[in-house]
Amino acid sequence: MPEASPSPTRALRLGVAGPVGTGKSSLIGMLCRELGDTLELGVVTNDIYTDEDARMLRAAGVLDPERIRAVETGACPHTAIRDDVSANLSAVEDLEADFAPLDLVLVESGGDNLTATFSPALVDAQVFVLDVAGGGDVVRKGGPGISRADLLVVNKTDLAPYVGVDAELMAREGRQARDGRPVIALSRTDPASVAALRAWVLGVLEDHRSGGHSPVDPGPMAPHSHAGAGHGHAHAHHSHDGGAGAHAH
Amino acid sequence: MLLADGRLPVGGHTQSSGLEPALLGGLAEGEIPALVQTRLRTVVRVEAAVAVVARHHVVAGLPLQPVQDAWAARTPSEVSRAASVAVGRGQRRLTLRLWPGSAAATSLEALRTPARPVAVGAMAAAAGLDAVRTARLVAYDDVQTLCAAALKLCPLDPADATAWLLDAGSAVEGVVAAVAHLTEPGGIPAPAAPLLEQWQHHHPTHSRRLFSA
Repeated sequence: MPEASPSPTRALRLGVAGPVGTGKSSLIGMLCRELGDTLELGVVTNDIYTDEDARMLRAAGVLDPERIRAVETGACPHTAIRDDVSANLSAVEDLEADFAPLDLVLVESGGDNLTATFSPALVDAQVFVLDVAGGGDVVRKGGPGISRADLLVVNKTDLAPYVGVDAELMAREGRQARDGRPVIALSRTDPASVAALRAWVLGVLEDHRSGGHSPVDPGPMAPHSHAGAGHGHAHAHHSHDGGAGAHAH
Repeated sequence: MLLADGRLPVGGHTQSSGLEPALLGGLAEGEIPALVQTRLRTVVRVEAAVAVVARHHVVAGLPLQPVQDAWAARTPSEVSRAASVAVGRGQRRLTLRLWPGSAAATSLEALRTPARPVAVGAMAAAAGLDAVRTARLVAYDDVQTLCAAALKLCPLDPADATAWLLDAGSAVEGVVAAVAHLTEPGGIPAPAAPLLEQWQHHHPTHSRRLFSA
């Protein structure tokens, strides 16, 4: 399928997942504000009721409304980003074709539980978003997104004093759970944290363009090992043909 | 079996076989079995016929475009056509992935935005289904999709939805008997279902929806 073959000019596809209400849409709005002047962007949203998030982003005026597409998920946000990515993949490809060349397509998952992560058939990298108001113990509960997404964001740190959570401790526990993978403690009122998020996205984009980035599947469950195979960790998928969404694993 | 599995990764989970548009349009939950029967007499009969003829065209080395045109002529709403193509693209993607180099893949490469039944017919050819099984696949899938969606849209005992599917068996076979012999696009039946079309046509205007069709 030539239209889905990897190419250095294809947009970086970045997924944003995490439980309901942790600030996925706000984070995407923030990225549009921070990067919209320098990058060509597109956004695909996956709300339970189709276009709540898309309307919110359009109303925020951070991006040309035509560049924001909503995809119905049949009440299965988990399926739409992992088990059957067809609808999202078509939406991403349409955006890339309609506004070529795009630099970055952001795919927002519908809010789901801690096991919902993106298939590498849909995105090149993914951010998992938690917030302090969801409770300081959520990081310790773990899950594939928390442990192995390309980036973990602990959002709304400005609310920490009001909900009795130690945001620094939460971020530190996140780093411990992630074997050194990046964690950003984010607040829209903290310019340094916003700059850190912006820099992370630009860094992944740079890696993507230079061919140095390989999509890594956090997996739906705990990492599994293949005895004797010499690796016991989430697999890097070097071949990324964007095919059927049925990703043999 | 593979092609009739609701988990086939072609985007089928975004579909309700017209049930959500019908409920938002005012259909009462008690009328759902009647909706199933009406669909099998009208839109599903068209779709099954389109798939059967598309399968024949692939097997006979004929182009799919005339089949696509016959489908479009029988699907007046551009909203309905777009919803069908959304899944058709998923079917096309999977066919190219699973049967590269096949006659079906070659036919679909020439048709980038196939209607769902056109792509299903091509996939059926690749998978070696005959016309009867192709028609049954389309009709069964429509009812199965509707029943699965009903569980998300209505307060319902899951066993009731399975009973609807079971009860639709003879009507599904009626569709098969009516269309399995077809080979020409001009022979595809053209029953009208204006209320179903109207419900689907208005579907995108509802802000609180789970399904695309």
